[in-house]
Amino acid sequence: MSDPIIEVKDISFSYGKTPILKKASLTIFKGEFIAIFGPNGGGKTTLLNLLMGFLKQEEGSISVLGKLPKNARGEIGYVPQFAKFDKQFPISVFELVLSGAVKECTWWGSYPQKVKDRAHKALEKVSLSHLKDESFGTLSGGQAQRVLIARALVSSPQILLLDEPIASVDAKSEKEIYDLLLTLKGSMTILMVTHDLEPLLDKADRLLCVRKTVSSLLPKEACGHYSMGLYHEPIKLI
Amino acid sequence: MIQSLISLFTENPFFQFALLAGIASSITSGIMGSYVVVKRIVFISGSISHSVLGGMGLCLWLKRVHGISWITPLDGALVFALLSALLIGWTHLRFKEREDTIIAALWSTGMALGIIFISLTPGYNVELMNFLFGNILWVSKSDILLILGLDAIVLLAVFFFHNRFLAICFDEVQARLQNVKVNLLYFLLLGLVAISVVLLIQVVGAILVIAMLAIPPAIAGRFQKRLTGIMVLSIFLGILFTLTGTSVSYYLNWPPGATIALGAASAYSLSFLKKRN
Repeated sequence: MSDPIIEVKDISFSYGKTPILKKASLTIFKGEFIAIFGPNGGGKTTLLNLLMGFLKQEEGSISVLGKLPKNARGEIGYVPQFAKFDKQFPISVFELVLSGAVKECTWWGSYPQKVKDRAHKALEKVSLSHLKDESFGTLSGGQAQRVLIARALVSSPQILLLDEPIASVDAKSEKEIYDLLLTLKGSMTILMVTHDLEPLLDKADRLLCVRKTVSSLLPKEACGHYSMGLYHEPIKLI
Repeated sequence: MIQSLISLFTENPFFQFALLAGIASSITSGIMGSYVVVKRIVFISGSISHSVLGGMGLCLWLKRVHGISWITPLDGALVFALLSALLIGWTHLRFKEREDTIIAALWSTGMALGIIFISLTPGYNVELMNFLFGNILWVSKSDILLILGLDAIVLLAVFFFHNRFLAICFDEVQARLQNVKVNLLYFLLLGLVAISVVLLIQVVGAILVIAMLAIPPAIAGRFQKRLTGIMVLSIFLGILFTLTGTSVSYYLNWPPGATIALGAASAYSLSFLKKRN
């Protein structure tokens, strides 16, 4: 195994008096494809926000690429669910992908040609170049989700975080998103939050079950109970 | 009638200034109103526009009671608009869960201050009534210079920051992930909205500013798919509403500000007949 790219040690976090994570620890290695699952309110999205430095843990430590999460943000690509965006927002697919590199705008506010080239390549990668002038709001759920992945890729991140990208997409789009993630596997570290573990069992290197604490298991250790929403500690075979 | 309308705007200096003020304010309101509508901060803009009453009342009081002759209600409006933009921006960032209540409190505090200063100022405040309800025919040469100056500031800022504004209006989290100074950009955006509010006060008055800031972009959004397209169409709509409203108000002897706002609102209702692009 290569060097750890993310190290989380004994972190605790709560919203007010409601504990979300308690003494949670995990280690992620470079190039791994990790599926994160667990019950609602178990701390999956909170964990992603802690890794991006948007939240601060109450105790414990987090290291991303050897730095504090806040200082490693430039190396992280983040893909939220498409459904949280306003469908009527007047932005084209290409403008949206470019916004993934807004920090690289020149002092007079335009995107350099190299950023535009990267945006074209990111759209090619997600097979949506032909829709670059379309409005984001007119896309199907699967297309919109792939555009958000292209936006995350345009800054060439080392770590890609995806928050339930297959929620609210049809079966065909789900397969397209998984195929896309498989082409990215190995070239960057991928952490994907999901409620549907089954399709990831033959794709992910490891699974992380987040329910206040974090348990790591191999896909072969996944239990059928998980698909029924019954999350328990992995049962180790003797 | 058209002939007399044209001669009205070409020969009458009051209408010439009105034409210039209408075009200048429509440019900024078309641009900044588009950001306001897509970022869904119409309520915030309403709060800024109403709180300026405090500044206008203060300046009138200083002018009439304390003899500070160089000060104008428009100066007070600009200072109060910028101050309330700063306060509201800070409220948005600090107290997100109680944002709407705090903004409403600022809204009424500004108006309350204005009413108190007006009550302390002797005489019938025609000047203040014009600022409250608008009178585009009352615009002076010095007002035109101020309007053009503010126009230039807004245009320059948008030229340099449009891509950044677009990014934070669509998704602040993504911009924060790139360590873009989202809070600073948000304050800048609100500051520019505040300037647009002051410009529009000349045209429709503080009470009706929100109509001219929100309605042209809301209509344009039904016809255009890009933010820049919405801005351009909003500018044209703003000029159209201002000119037609001013003309109609002249012939019917109605208040210009209210006539302009009513025309804009009627056009907005009609725009629902058009299916969104």
